[in-house]
Amino acid sequence: MYGVVTDGFAYSDLPTPLHDVVGAEGDPTRAAEAPTARQEIRYWTAAVLRQTPEEPLQPVPIGQVFVASDADVAQALRMDGYLYSATPSAIPIGLYTAAGLESPVYLDADFLIGPEAAHLNISGVSGLATKTSAVEFLLASIFEHFPAHKGKVAAVCFNVKGPDLCFLDQPGALSDEDRRRYERLAVPSRPFERVRMYAPLKADGVNLNTLRTHADLVHIVEPLTWGLAEVVDYAEVLLNRDDIDAKADAFIDFLRDRVLARTFDDGFGGTHRVQTFADLDRLFRAIFDGLELTSGGRSDTWRTHHIATIRKVRNRLSNISTRCKGLVTDDGPSSDLPWGAFEDRAVYVVDVANVDPLGQDLVFARAVSKLREHLERRDLGVDAVVVFVDELNKYAPGDGPDTYVKKMLLDISERGRYLGLVLFGAEQFRSQVHRRVVGNAATQLFGRMDMDELATPGYQVLSPATKIKLATLPIGELMVRHPHFTQPIFVRFPKPPVLRGRDGVERFPPAADLPFDDAVVRQLVRLDRRIRPNQVKDLIAERDEDDVRRALAAVRRTRPDDVLAYFRKVLGGRVSTDIPRERTAVPPLNPIADEPY
Amino acid sequence: MTWWDALAAAGAVPAAFAPPASRGWTDLDDGALPGAELIEEPDLAAHPVTSPALVRAACFLDGIQQWKVVSYDGVAPVIRAYVATAARRRGPNRRPRTLLESSREFAIAPLASMKPAVRRVLETTCPDVVDLPLDRDGGLQPGKVLELARRVVDGARQNLEREIAERSLAVLGPEEWLLVDGLLSVSGKLAAHPRALGVIKSHGAQFFDGANLERALTVPAGHRTSVFRARGGHARNEVYSWYLRLWPWEGQDLLYGLLRIEARADAATVAAASAISGWLCAERAPLATPDARWDRLLYPLQDVETYLKARAPRDLLSAPGSRLPRTGS
Ligand SMILES: Nc1ncnc2c1ncn2[C@@H]1O[C@H](COP(=O)(O)OP(=O)(O)OP(=O)(O)O)[C@@H](O)[C@H]1O
Ligand SMILES: [Mg+2]
Repeated sequence: MYGVVTDGFAYSDLPTPLHDVVGAEGDPTRAAEAPTARQEIRYWTAAVLRQTPEEPLQPVPIGQVFVASDADVAQALRMDGYLYSATPSAIPIGLYTAAGLESPVYLDADFLIGPEAAHLNISGVSGLATKTSAVEFLLASIFEHFPAHKGKVAAVCFNVKGPDLCFLDQPGALSDEDRRRYERLAVPSRPFERVRMYAPLKADGVNLNTLRTHADLVHIVEPLTWGLAEVVDYAEVLLNRDDIDAKADAFIDFLRDRVLARTFDDGFGGTHRVQTFADLDRLFRAIFDGLELTSGGRSDTWRTHHIATIRKVRNRLSNISTRCKGLVTDDGPSSDLPWGAFEDRAVYVVDVANVDPLGQDLVFARAVSKLREHLERRDLGVDAVVVFVDELNKYAPGDGPDTYVKKMLLDISERGRYLGLVLFGAEQFRSQVHRRVVGNAATQLFGRMDMDELATPGYQVLSPATKIKLATLPIGELMVRHPHFTQPIFVRFPKPPVLRGRDGVERFPPAADLPFDDAVVRQLVRLDRRIRPNQVKDLIAERDEDDVRRALAAVRRTRPDDVLAYFRKVLGGRVSTDIPRERTAVPPLNPIADEPY
Repeated sequence: MTWWDALAAAGAVPAAFAPPASRGWTDLDDGALPGAELIEEPDLAAHPVTSPALVRAACFLDGIQQWKVVSYDGVAPVIRAYVATAARRRGPNRRPRTLLESSREFAIAPLASMKPAVRRVLETTCPDVVDLPLDRDGGLQPGKVLELARRVVDGARQNLEREIAERSLAVLGPEEWLLVDGLLSVSGKLAAHPRALGVIKSHGAQFFDGANLERALTVPAGHRTSVFRARGGHARNEVYSWYLRLWPWEGQDLLYGLLRIEARADAATVAAASAISGWLCAERAPLATPDARWDRLLYPLQDVETYLKARAPRDLLSAPGSRLPRTGS
C-alpha cells in the first residue's frame, strides 16, 4: 500500500484552550511548567497512491508505516512502467522530499510530449511560484532525457516579459545544493547549447527591439520582420479582435488571391503590382479616387466589395504597419524562423516583449501556424516542438471575445499531441485562462498560489490542507499532477541552469541604439565580416532611409556571397526620392506597464 | 463462543445491565467508624503550602473496575467483571510510561442458587468464577445481590491495587515517590513507606466535628490542615493524614478542590506536609480535563485511569445512553 500524506491533525485531552490557562492560573508563561506533559497525538491521513495487488480493491488495513525509498516512489507513482521499461520515457521533474529522503519524480514523455496526452500548464503567483524557472528547468530535463526512439525535439519560447528568456545560453549562479539536485536528477547543470533568438526591429527599422543587444551576445539575435504577404495571410488575427466580418474576410481573400504579387488592373485605367504596404496604399487611393471620379461619389461598391469594407480593411492593415513598425515592414520578409531546418535540442526564442499586443498576436499566430503546417508535413526538422507561452491568460483568456489566437491555442491543446506540437503555458491565475486550454494540459504544475485564487471553483477538488500548503509553498517547490499519479505530488526542483533575465541585463547591459548608418553597418558586417564601415556609410549617405532599409532587407533575404556588391546593386543609382512619404502616426503605447523594461 | 453466550445457550436469559458507575475506593468502604487524633498541634489549623514547590519524581497508581449483569438464571444474576491496575512512572520527559500493570476478568454468580446444568456450563466455560455466598434469609433479593457483587468487585480491585502498589515500591528509585489514588492504609507496606502518598478525593468519612470540622472543610485554597492520625476500620494500618485545598471552594461547594492526603505515620511526615502539599498543588496543571472531577483529580492519576480504560475489554461496557431496543445490525 503506497500513500501520500494529505492532512495532519493533533488530538489532546484538552477540551478548550481555556483549560490550560486555568491550569496555569492565568499566567501563560507558566503553561509549559506543568509537571506532566499532556497526552497528545499526531495523526496523519494519507491518500492511497497505489496498492498491490490492485485487484480486488481493498480498504486500507492498520499496519506499520515506512518512509518511501526511490523504488517505492517509482512504484507508488506508477513510474515503474516508463522508468524501467525497455524504451524508457521518463523525464525528471524534481525531487520528492520526505523525512530527509529525496527521490526523483519522473513524468512520462508519452504523456507530456505526446502522443498519449500532452501539454503542461503551470500557475502560481508572481515571483514566488517560479513558473518561468520551472519551465526552463523542465526544458533542460526534456532535452537531456527525451527518449531516443521518439526522435528530435526543439522548443519555441515566446519571451513576453522584459528580459525573462533572453539569456538561456548563459550560465546562471547555482548553489552546491542545486548542483547536487541536478546530479540526483541526472540533468546537466549547463545552459542551453543551441539557442537562437528572434526579435523584431525598432521603429527605425535597423535597431533590434530586444534587451539582448549587448555586443557580446547580439550575434545570436536575428531580426524578425515580415512583409505585406505574411500579414495578409494572418489578417484574420487583426480582424477578429474586434469583429467577425464575413465581408472583410472576402475582401482579404480577394486581395490575397487576385492582387498580391500580381499585375492587377484597378478598373480605372491603373495597373498595380502590390508587394508592399506602400503599393497597397496606392491601390486603395486609386480605388477611392476612381470611384469618386467615375461615379461622382454615387457608387459605393468596387468589384462587389462595399467601400466601407474596403476602408475597414485598409485601416486595419495600415494600423498594423504603423503600430508594429519594426516587425511589419514595407520590404517583405527578410528573416524568419528556420522552418524546415529546426535543430534537435535547440531553443528558438521569439522576443515579443516590446511589441504591441496586436503584433504579438500576429507573431504568435503565424509562428504556431507555421509550426503546425510543417509538423503536419513532417518537414520541420524535428519531431516534436514545445511551445512555451508565458502569461497565457493574455492570449487565451477565459472571458472576452474568441480571438484567432485563442482559437488557435485551443486547437493546439486539443489536437497538438498527435502532431508533436506541445503547449507549455504559464499564468498567475489559472481561473483566468480558457478552461479547455488548461483542462487539456495533461500535466499541471502549481507553485505558490494566491488564497483568493484557491477559493475559486476550479480548486474544489483539493483538500483544505493541500490548499494551505499551496498558499505557503516555498520557492522552488511545485505541486505536480500527471496522468500516472493518482494524487498531487509535491516536488522540489533546482534553479534553472541559465542566467536569470534580470541578472542578464545587469551583466550584459543592452547596447544603446546605434545611429542609423552605424546600425546598417552592423547588420551588413554580421553577414560579411570583410565589409568596412566607411564603404557602407559612403554608400548610404544622403539616401532615403526607406530605400536603405529595403536594400538591407533584400540582402538579408538573399544572403548573397558578396554582400556589399549586392547591397550596392539593390540600392541602385543615386536618385532623388520622388514622393517622400509622410507617415506620422501616434506612437503606440508601451504595452507592458508594470515592468521596468 | 464466550462463556456468557454459552450460558444463554444453556437456558439462561441474556441481559445487559451495568450498575451505576463505580464509586471508587472511598474512606467509607468498610463501614468502620473513623477517628482522628491531632498530631501537629492541639487544634486543627490551616497552613499555607510551600511555594514555589519542588516537584518530585514519581510513579502514579490507580485502578478501575467494570462489571455488568450478562444473564439471569431464574432471578440469579450472572455478572461479568473486570478489574485492572497500573502504576505509571513519569519520566524526565514529563510523560508517564507504564511500570507495572495487572488485570483480571471473571464471573460472579450465586452458584448455590443456580440450576445445576447452567452452573456447570458457567464453571466449565469461564476459567475464573467467584461465588457469591448468600445468607439464609436474604435470598435472591436483586438489590442485595448486586450490592454483594459490588463488594466482590471492589475487593478484587483492591487486591490488585495492593499487589501492584507493593511491587512498585520494590522498584521505586531512591528519590522516587509513589502516589496512589485512594487509601494508603489498606496495605502495611504502603502505610510504612517513607515516599508513598495516598490521595483521597471522595470524603465519605468525616474525622472531625465542631470547630475542627469547620476548619477542615473550609481550609482555603493553597492551604493544608494540621496533620492528624487517621484511624480507619478493621484492616487499616495507621497513617498520618491532612486535608489540602487545590482550588478556591467559595462559590462552589465545601468539598470542591478538597483532597485528603495519607502518608506514613512518622514525625518526618509532619515536617514535610507543607512541602508535599506544595508539590501536589503544582500537579494541578495540566488540568485533568475533560473529567468532571478535575478539581480534585491529579492529571497523572487521570492518565493512569485513561490508560486502563483504553485497555479494558471493548465489549464490557457499551456506550452509556439509551436502553431502547437495539435496532439494525
Ligand atoms: N528552484 C528554485 N529554487 C530557488 N529559487 C528559485 C528556483 N527557481 C526560481 N527561483 C527564484 O525565484 C524567483 C522567481 O522565479 P520566476 O521568475 O521563475 O517566477 P515566475 O513565477 O515566473 O514569476 P512571474 O509571474 O513574475 O513571471 C527568481 O528570482 C528565481 O531566481
Ligand atoms: Mg515568469
